[in-house]
Parts: sequence; C-alpha cells; structure tokens
Amino acid sequence: MNILLFVLSIAIYLSYGFSNFIFIIFSMLTSFIAGRFLKSKNGKFILGITIFANAILLVLSKFLPYADINFISAIGISYYTLQVISYLVDVYKGKYEPETNLFYFALYIFYIPHIFIGPIIRYADMKEQILKKKKITLDNLEDGLLRILWGLFKKLVISGRVAILVGTISSNLETYNGAFALFAMLLYSIQLYSDFSGGIDIVMGVSKIADIDLKENFDSPYLAENIKEFWRRWHISLSSWLRDYVYIPLGGRRCSKARKAFNTLVTFLVSGLWHGVNYILWGFIHGIFVLFGDKYKTKFKNLNRVINFIIVSILWSFFIWPTTGEAVQAILSIFNNFKITDFAQNILNLGLTLGDYIVLIISTLILFIFDGKKDKILNYIKSKTFERKLIYVGIFALIVMTFGIYGIGFEVDEFIYSNF
Amino acid sequence: MKRAIKIIVILIIFIIIFAFLNRLLKPKYATSLVEGSMISQYYDESKDHEVIFIGDCEVYANFSPMVMYEESGIKAYVRGSSQQLIWQSYYLLKETLKYEIPKVVVFNVNSMRYDKNSSAVSEAYNRLMIDNMKWSKEKIELINASMTEEESFISYVFPILRYHSRFDELTKEDFEFLFKNKTNTYNGFLINKNVKPVTNLPTKRRLATYEFDEECYDYLQKITDLCKENGIELVLIKAPSVYPYWYDEYDKQIESFAEENDLDFYNFLDVTQEIGIDYNTDTYDGGLHMNLDGATKLSKYFANILIENYDLTDYSGDELYDEKLEEYNNAIK
Repeated sequence: MNILLFVLSIAIYLSYGFSNFIFIIFSMLTSFIAGRFLKSKNGKFILGITIFANAILLVLSKFLPYADINFISAIGISYYTLQVISYLVDVYKGKYEPETNLFYFALYIFYIPHIFIGPIIRYADMKEQILKKKKITLDNLEDGLLRILWGLFKKLVISGRVAILVGTISSNLETYNGAFALFAMLLYSIQLYSDFSGGIDIVMGVSKIADIDLKENFDSPYLAENIKEFWRRWHISLSSWLRDYVYIPLGGRRCSKARKAFNTLVTFLVSGLWHGVNYILWGFIHGIFVLFGDKYKTKFKNLNRVINFIIVSILWSFFIWPTTGEAVQAILSIFNNFKITDFAQNILNLGLTLGDYIVLIISTLILFIFDGKKDKILNYIKSKTFERKLIYVGIFALIVMTFGIYGIGFEVDEFIYSNF
Repeated sequence: MKRAIKIIVILIIFIIIFAFLNRLLKPKYATSLVEGSMISQYYDESKDHEVIFIGDCEVYANFSPMVMYEESGIKAYVRGSSQQLIWQSYYLLKETLKYEIPKVVVFNVNSMRYDKNSSAVSEAYNRLMIDNMKWSKEKIELINASMTEEESFISYVFPILRYHSRFDELTKEDFEFLFKNKTNTYNGFLINKNVKPVTNLPTKRRLATYEFDEECYDYLQKITDLCKENGIELVLIKAPSVYPYWYDEYDKQIESFAEENDLDFYNFLDVTQEIGIDYNTDTYDGGLHMNLDGATKLSKYFANILIENYDLTDYSGDELYDEKLEEYNNAIK
C-alpha cells in the first residue's frame, strides 16, 4: 500500500510539471539529510540553515509574484515547507529520532491527498500511519466514501453556488453598494468553509480508504464565541503549527503582558504572510481581536457566535477582494453606502435563480446542523448496517450530481486553499 | 444470501432512480429547440425510403419528402440536423444504413466549408444532434469525432452530468415526453410558414483560403465510398440558401470532386429562377432557409430530377404515405 501511495503521489505531482518537482525534492532531501546531523555539535547551525533555506523559498514564493516574477510556483510549497520545519524542530528538540528510511520520509512529504490543501501533518503522526499494516476494508471504504461525498456536497452544492454570488458582487465593487458587500462577506464565510473543509473531507476520505487516519482540521469553527476560540476550531493544523513553531518559541504566554501581545501579533502576522502578502493586514487584525479575547463577549452564547461570525466574515474581505485597498473600500461601504432596498430588488439578479437560493439555504442548514451535532450524527451512521450506509451513499451521490455546480457553463474553481 | 439480495435490490433501486433522473433532466426538445428531437424521430419511421437526405438545416428546412411523394411518388426521409458537420453526416449515414439501404443518398455540401477548428463546431449543436440518438457503435464514433474540448464523453452517457442545472427549469413537457418523442417533422422536414424577405444580397468577402479542409475531403470521400460499397447513388447538392455566401471557388472544388468520383452535383443557387423561388416571399429568415412555399417549389423541382434520373419507384397510392400526406396537408393549411 505504501508503494502504491508513493507511486501515485509522485505521478500526480509530476503531472503538474517538473519545475514543481525540483523544489519539493530540495525540501525533502535537505530536511532528511539535515535531520541526521541535528544531534551533532553543529546541530543548531544545521537546523538554522536548513530552516532558512526552506523558509526563504516559501517567503519568495509569496513575495515574488507581486514583483511579476514567478520562478517559484511550486505546488504545495506552503504545506510541505511547514511539514519539514516541524520535522526539523521536533528532531532537534529530541521529540523523536530522525528518520533513517528515505522512502518513509518521502512518503510523508509527497503524500498526495493532502499536498494541495493540507492538512499540515506532523511527522510523528504520519510515521505511525506509514508503519501500520494497512488494508482496504469495507468499513474504511464506507466511511471514506461517505466522507468524500460529504466533501463534494460542500464543495459543489454549497461553495460552488455561493461562489457565483460572491464572484458577481466582488468583481464589480463600484456597482454594488455596502449591503451587497456585507452579503458577499457573510456568504464568503460559508463559501470558504464549505470549500476548504470540503476539500479536507475529500483528503480525509481518500486517506481513510487507504487506511490512513489524519487529524481533523476543523471543529465547527462558526460555533466559536470569539476569535481566539475560532482559531482553535479553524484550520487546526495551521494554527497548532503556528502555536508550536512560532508562538511558543517566541516565549508564548509565560512572559510579560507586552511580550505576550507581541508574540501573539507576530504569530498572526506570520499566519497572514503564510496566506500571502495581501493577507498580512488580515492576520494583524485577527491578532488584535485575539488580544482582546473575551472583552467583547456577552452573556448570551448564541449572540456571541453571531457577533463572532460577523467579525470573521467582514475580515474575510481580504480574501474576497484582490487588493487590501479594495477590501478596505468594501468594508467602508457597509458604513457609508448601505442601500438595503436596492439590494432587495436585485437579489435575484446576482447569478442564482430562486431554485438555487432554495438549494443553497437548505444545504447550508444541513451543513450547520451537521456541524452542531457532528458526533451524534457520526455515531448514528456508524451504528447502521452496510445496507443502510449504502443507501446514504446513494442518496448523497444523487444529491451531489443533481444539485452540484459543475460542468459546462459553470466555472468550478480549484479549492481556494490550494492557492495559499 | 438474504443480505446479498437486499444489497442487490438497493443497487437496482438506485440505478432506476439514476436512470430516471438522467431522462428527466435531459431536454425534451418538444416545443422549443425542436431541432433536437429530429434525429430520433427517424427511429419510429417505417424503413422503406428510397431517398435519404443528410446534411445541415439546408436539408431539413428546404426539402419536403411529403411534397416529393405527392409530386413523384418518391419515398424520402431527411436526416438533417442543425449545423450538421460533415463528419457527423458520415456517421449518421452509417447508422442509417444499418436500418435500410436507400437507392439514393442526397448530401448537402454546405458543411464542407467547416473544419474542426471552425466556430460552427459547438457543444450546443452537438447536443441537438446527438442527445436523442440511439446508442450504437456509430453514435460512439460520432461523439468522439464531434466533441469540443470542453465536452466529455461521459456526459453523453449520463446526461445528468450536463443537464443537472435544469432541476429548477423543469416544465410539464419534461414529464409528458419522459418516455416518448414529440414528432415535429414530416419525414424530417420542419415546416416554417413565416416570411422574411431577403433585403440585402450577401456580398463576397475575401477569405484567407477557399480550399476545403483536408479532413472534410476525407469525410466526403468516406461518404462516397460508403455509398458505393452499398450500391447507393450519392447525389451532391447545394441548397438555394443565399446566406452564408457560397463562393465560386467552393463550387469548383465540389464540381471537380463530383467529376473525379463520377457523382452528380446540383447547385440550386444556379437555377432559382427555373425553380421559381422568389426571395421576397419564399424564405422565413432573410435568405438562410426556405419557408414552406420555397421548400414546396424546391421539393417539386428536385423530385422531378430524382424520378427522371435515378432508378426510383413511384409509390403513389401507398396507403401509409397517403395517410401521412393527408396529415401533412392538414398541418400546412
């Protein structure tokens, strides 16, 4: 199974061009070789130079496109660079022994299901999965298929539909007033979540079929009551990576208030930069909100959730509009150009039919109901017979095929997070 | 055992639902875009035609088999479709020959001007032609030859992959014609009684090349060979549509091909006065297609050529065709 996974991963990765391949090979070999020497007396130097060499490529890949230079466009660089850094630091700190088997290490780096959108896997977790004797079982197939279909449902039925609305509004900031801009922001929260978590569901489902269990990357993020909690629930593999390899090394919370605030802001600036240069301000504002944590919390749980959802949504503006200037302009339009009647009159002229809206509302409700009662629903499904699960798979497949946004006439974009 | 049966039953139920959804969501082409239902109407016909027309709209709008029957007792059928390209005509003819071997095949050469890079190649026209064709080796070949880059073969097998977004456009028609076709033509002829005169005669615009594409020639040769192998007389025609402009250079190439292959070629653009076509009254769209009056004149004219020059039978008095003719005459009133 490992060999099959490796060959498939390499083949798929290569299909995106050989230039990508050079960068990933560089990351893999430098970190594999460096890992062997981290215990030596020059270990600290080797750690520093290897992390620098890999990190600089990642940073350049983020900055150079803004200077119209695209010589580094390595697919998955944002994900595998973080993976090699976590491996190097963990080995240096003695959390586990360096890997001596290049094949196992290569599989960790190349493992194709997650290389485009994550999650960011730690080596200790992946090695456990690589070493275990894997087999394709009926149980794994059922669970994997259901997870893939759930991911496709989110991506094609929900995200694809919202993308049409958000695309229409965001591409014409001058035409649409603040009411439309706010609508786009709130919807984008749903689009990004269904797109990203849908992609992760597919990764998890494919991995499950191959008998590889990956850690969850989301925990119902829009149920968070403040931004701090949001980051414990959203893109968990990135936020925990930032905590372990940026925030804690900077001193974490065991220091003065000012230093703690500094550490938090730096961590969120790094998070912003990881997404791209345009997102630095977004990361900084998130950092500010994290610092103020519970200050704006009310006594009412659901009200807190709504407030937090609105804050997160408004901040997604930096993801919706291509430049920081446009994002700020869109946010300001909510306060200085908000025309609700114009919005109400034109809601059916944004690219979706009434039928589409109905499908979108129902499917979003399903998404949030599932998020709210995830464990209950999963246990219920698990307790059912194979026949019953087959019915669920069939119903889901028919729903996705009928109500999905795909095919000629629709532009199904790649997963949003594959661009980071 | 009991469990296995349960699983099989579940699978069968899903296959039935899936097949139903495929059928339901596929356009029925019954009252709008009726061109999409023309190709499949042939399957319900008696297969005893002595003349088969193949080609684009210039055949299904301009030649009326019922008029030809009334005029000369000819049993003809038009297997035309919108913007039918020459490779499509070839595979459609191949499919037709599986059902019957006519004495004469009439091919309208207008499509020779369109190669595979032409803007005439479009998914919409492909769908109109292919969607309702019966599955056969020829249909598979036709799809493979016709698909644009954006299309996929699987979406022809499972139309739900193409038409799923119609879920909120379904009308009564989609349920009414779920398991049947609406007959919109008379032996493949689509009646149009509107009148829109030709106001401007097309001017000859310079083209980069007047040479027909090599692939188009290949398919024309394939059509020729297929007819010869089956003992069929292939007749090349150019319908008297004034748009799009038919160049002398095109005409010469067809003449030369016809001569080399011992075929007859009739360019009706050269004999419009003899036919009696009045472009003020006989077209429904300013000269692209004949209306009912124009098609009637042209069909009578061509019926006489066919009966006089080819070994065709005069079926006048045929019970079935007399009935059809009565229906047709009622329809054109």
